Amino acid sequence: MRIAEQSGLTTPCTTKRAVTMTSFLKSIQRRFFGSAPLILGLLGIMPMLVPTPAHALPSFARQTGQNCVACHAGGQYPELTPYGRMFKMTGYTIGERTVPLSVMGVVNSASIASAPSDTQKNGQPVLATGSVFLAGKITDNIGAFAQLTYDNYAVDNGDGTFTGHTNADNMDFRFANHIVDEKRDWVYGVSFNNNPSISDPWNSAAAWMQYVPAASLGSHQFADANTPYPGFGSGGNIAGLSAYLFWNQTLYAEMGSYGSADKAFSFMSSGIADKTILSGANPYWRLALSREWGPHNLMVGTSGMTAKVYDSGSDTSDPGNLGQFRNNGIDAQYQYILDPHTVTAQFAYMQQQQTYSDNTGGEPGLTDTNNVARAKVSYIYQAKYGGSLAYFNQTGTTNVQSDPATNGLTYEAFWIPVQNIRLGAQYTTYNKYQGVSSNYDGAGRNASDNNTLFLYAWFAY
Amino acid sequence: MKYRHLLLVIAMGAIGAGCTSIENSRNLANPNVPAKALAQQVCSLCHGINGQSVSPNFPNLAAQQPTYFTAQMKEFRGHNRLDPAGFEYMWGLSRSLTDEQIRGLAEYFATKAPAAIPNTSSDPAAVAGGAVIFEKGVPGKNIPSCSTCHGAQAQGNEQFPRLANQHSDYLVKQLMVFQRTDERPEGSIMKTIAHDLTRKNMEDVAAYLQDYPAR
Repeated sequence: MRIAEQSGLTTPCTTKRAVTMTSFLKSIQRRFFGSAPLILGLLGIMPMLVPTPAHALPSFARQTGQNCVACHAGGQYPELTPYGRMFKMTGYTIGERTVPLSVMGVVNSASIASAPSDTQKNGQPVLATGSVFLAGKITDNIGAFAQLTYDNYAVDNGDGTFTGHTNADNMDFRFANHIVDEKRDWVYGVSFNNNPSISDPWNSAAAWMQYVPAASLGSHQFADANTPYPGFGSGGNIAGLSAYLFWNQTLYAEMGSYGSADKAFSFMSSGIADKTILSGANPYWRLALSREWGPHNLMVGTSGMTAKVYDSGSDTSDPGNLGQFRNNGIDAQYQYILDPHTVTAQFAYMQQQQTYSDNTGGEPGLTDTNNVARAKVSYIYQAKYGGSLAYFNQTGTTNVQSDPATNGLTYEAFWIPVQNIRLGAQYTTYNKYQGVSSNYDGAGRNASDNNTLFLYAWFAY
Repeated sequence: MKYRHLLLVIAMGAIGAGCTSIENSRNLANPNVPAKALAQQVCSLCHGINGQSVSPNFPNLAAQQPTYFTAQMKEFRGHNRLDPAGFEYMWGLSRSLTDEQIRGLAEYFATKAPAAIPNTSSDPAAVAGGAVIFEKGVPGKNIPSCSTCHGAQAQGNEQFPRLANQHSDYLVKQLMVFQRTDERPEGSIMKTIAHDLTRKNMEDVAAYLQDYPAR
């Protein structure tokens, strides 16, 4: 969920060579059991770390007094149930005011199939990130979800050591009202946030589809969190205001405008080393149709944004440093929730047209277009045992950029022993990377050499 | 741009302050919030504005017996009802409700009209079998008819809940709770009655009740 990772232009990759199930299983066996001490150790200490009962996001759960499964599908945070979406759209205000603080931590390990010799901490367990949340009801109509994240590996000191760093992460402050009786049902509100689509209630939205945090380490560069995800070119760490309406539980519409998070709003990009600088007001929009029947619910939607962004670290007084991202996307989410089963299918596609700044392109008006598609299905039993399969595919033009074509699959299995802990394993396979399946670096490295086993322990209180 | 944002945030606060109304409150710890507001702003999100829930995860409350409803809410509030559907969702929501608010919620839902839920996949023979269990019980196992306590039209009777037009999935799960656990001590009478019901018995009678003609 780190906002810095949510740009649509993630690292390219994919291959034509399919990885066989046999090699996949062997790889899992080799790497999983190679990390057995980590897993066993985590299992051993978890019960001691966890006061019970606890919830995710715990401060919201303390506010309503409900368990995770009320708002999160199968307890699989951050994916929301229909009720969880209404909790969010009504401004996080259901319940009673409590201490609005929560903490979250992620320990993980990434093993690259064929790791370059200088890869940092390949296969080693690391404390990747920790977050503090200020989240909850403020008044009957105003609530907040604000996250500060500590990145334990933010700066590579070059001598094998790292320096940690804290920065502003996702932030969403909102006012909401709900007019409902037998004849009408309107939820409307205003969200002040720092990441386009963080205000969205569906988890196929750009800001929410990627969820398990990875560390800022070379060994994590091919983990699922760093595969192509649909996103907006502006990325996060900006400041915007959007207004939304959910009409009769059917039509959701949101319109917003974003600018740089500076001056009075610099707290929304606090600690970000390379802040995004936008020019003027940059529009964001979202439309979605939703229907719920029996244990099923379905959403089909579209979203987009146009953002004028200065080149990173450039002189903003020079108009030659100003480029533009134009994003248009479609997404859909289906859920089946009937205890003890939870099934989710998600699809998202984002097209991003980048017009380079004059100074980058060398001549005015040069563009490149990237298309990122992602599909995922997941199943959870008894809100404890789950698995998912995700497909990702990125293609793009090569006017200025090198070929970004990347595709592959991520297999995942996870276990939720208690509701505020998730232990999981993701195995990401690449069929294509940087446009080709084999020898993508000219030195004989194949896309499948990037295949990565990622183990994680994620807990919140 | 930044100052425009600032103005909008101030406006948002002002609107928020101005729009705050106890009639639209979702505050579960304020004893002054009317039961109708709580029913509309909170309960309806799962149980439906008319007490007819879309998802079978949540029971229909339309036309439910106020005595039964009130007793259940107090069981949730007192942490005496221990089934997962109860504690996962209802312990927290009910923890600060006053007796008066609970009474108001009972009245709100009792006045809502029920609606039959079509059985889209049930075998007609199974539904017919369920009707027999409901009306006559299972004499060979000394299981009395459901209608004895729950009413000839499954409308309920004070402390005995309305069963007509309830989601069949919910009914089966609750029968399993009664039969296999002690998680609903207030319904201990059902533990004896459900003891010898087979899973098929439960599914049949639940299918019959879900699609019972609404009245």
